[in-house]
Amino acid sequence: MSLYLSQIRVIVWKDLLLEFRTRERIVAMGAFAVLSGVLFNYSLDTARVAPQDVAAGLIWMTLVFGGLLGVGRTFYLEAQDGAMQGVLMSPAPKDAVYLGKTLANFTLLFPVALLVLGVFWLFFGLDLGSSPGMLVLALALGSLGFVALSTLFAAVSSGTHMGETLLPILVFPLLVPMVIYGAGATGRIMVGRPVEEVTGNIQMLAAFALITLAAGAVLFRFVVED
Amino acid sequence: MEATRSVIEARGLVREYGPVVAVDGVDLVLDEGEFLVIFGPNGAGKSSLLGMLGGALRPTHGTVSIRGTPLDFSDGDWRRRVGVLSHKGFLYAHLTAEENLRFYGRLFGLRDLDERIPERLARVGLTNRARFEVRQLSHGMRQRLALARALLHDPDLVLLDEPYTGLDPSAASVLRDVLRELRDGHRTVVMVTHNLTEGLKLATRVAIQVAGRLAWEGPTTEVDRDTFDTFYHEVVEG
Repeated sequence: MSLYLSQIRVIVWKDLLLEFRTRERIVAMGAFAVLSGVLFNYSLDTARVAPQDVAAGLIWMTLVFGGLLGVGRTFYLEAQDGAMQGVLMSPAPKDAVYLGKTLANFTLLFPVALLVLGVFWLFFGLDLGSSPGMLVLALALGSLGFVALSTLFAAVSSGTHMGETLLPILVFPLLVPMVIYGAGATGRIMVGRPVEEVTGNIQMLAAFALITLAAGAVLFRFVVED
Repeated sequence: MEATRSVIEARGLVREYGPVVAVDGVDLVLDEGEFLVIFGPNGAGKSSLLGMLGGALRPTHGTVSIRGTPLDFSDGDWRRRVGVLSHKGFLYAHLTAEENLRFYGRLFGLRDLDERIPERLARVGLTNRARFEVRQLSHGMRQRLALARALLHDPDLVLLDEPYTGLDPSAASVLRDVLRELRDGHRTVVMVTHNLTEGLKLATRVAIQVAGRLAWEGPTTEVDRDTFDTFYHEVVEG
């Protein structure tokens, strides 16, 4: 068990160190979050549409599109010089490889999710409601479910000639539950509804994250093995 | 249980890619300390054969056993016994030489990395490049680092796919010395190469693969080094 955890840890360490050196994905996701906030700010006629009413959906769609920019490239650096093949030919279980990459992606995406929230709060003058902690929890669980699903499908798409182009087509239909429950929870928290009213949504987000993580861990080896 | 001397045993190996049969019924048994060099023209199926011996490719038919244990793809423990050096280095360009070895060492569960990594880097002449990112290294240095990576966990079986590709004479000499150490240290090695001269310098056994089959195989004592080039072409041309 300690070896298994150590293998997960070293994959997270390697992915984060590579990102620290290249800054490819975090910059792309961060820039996308900020620019989306700016554009949405100018695209809404706030005299007719209250930002508070539409912000939740926009936040989650920005997170999904921005996240795909980063997670879609998760296997790009692995493909150079056949590094992924080297990892797969090590004794590390395939599910440990998947969990390591998913955790690394979560570590990169979650700050971006908070940045998205911050950008929309700034540009739309949002009220974060009475339970900002629940808001952050919803974003954390949504981010985890998102990376769990998109890391698996990034492995699928990296093995095709369409590459990253294929990823949204594969992932978007499966993200519908996450967007429904995530945007639902976020919207209600931001209009100050009681916490009890969003508990169900939070539980559904947690279930989505756990199910996609478990399914990804099981299915990853069928994706990457010859 | 009786200890087996054979390090690797392949029976009836076949690898198909759709309608193309890349490897066609190869049988192979290698004992401890044997250094098999497989020659063959492009498209003969050498890399596919090597991929199946190392567990990178699943055979369409046939079995591979390492130390008597059949390869089980759902359990990667046998991978500790195999080291692979291909024309790709399996290295991360933005990690340093030392970080690459530490990463792979921890995937293999090695505990003595603080001693092992400097020793391996010294063995391939890269001590003064330990903190260089791989993208800053020359091709020859990368290949030497890839060799250090392949040997980091002291595998019983070393698989080498065209290791001399693109190496300058100095890098080729370092590689030759390390491979000679492996042979003299009773490791089992399978090397695929087009380079007849380099291959014959190290081999204890030679095979020539043509159209997926081992068209000829034997110990180097049966090989006349002066006329091997002619013999090779005769075998390849059938």
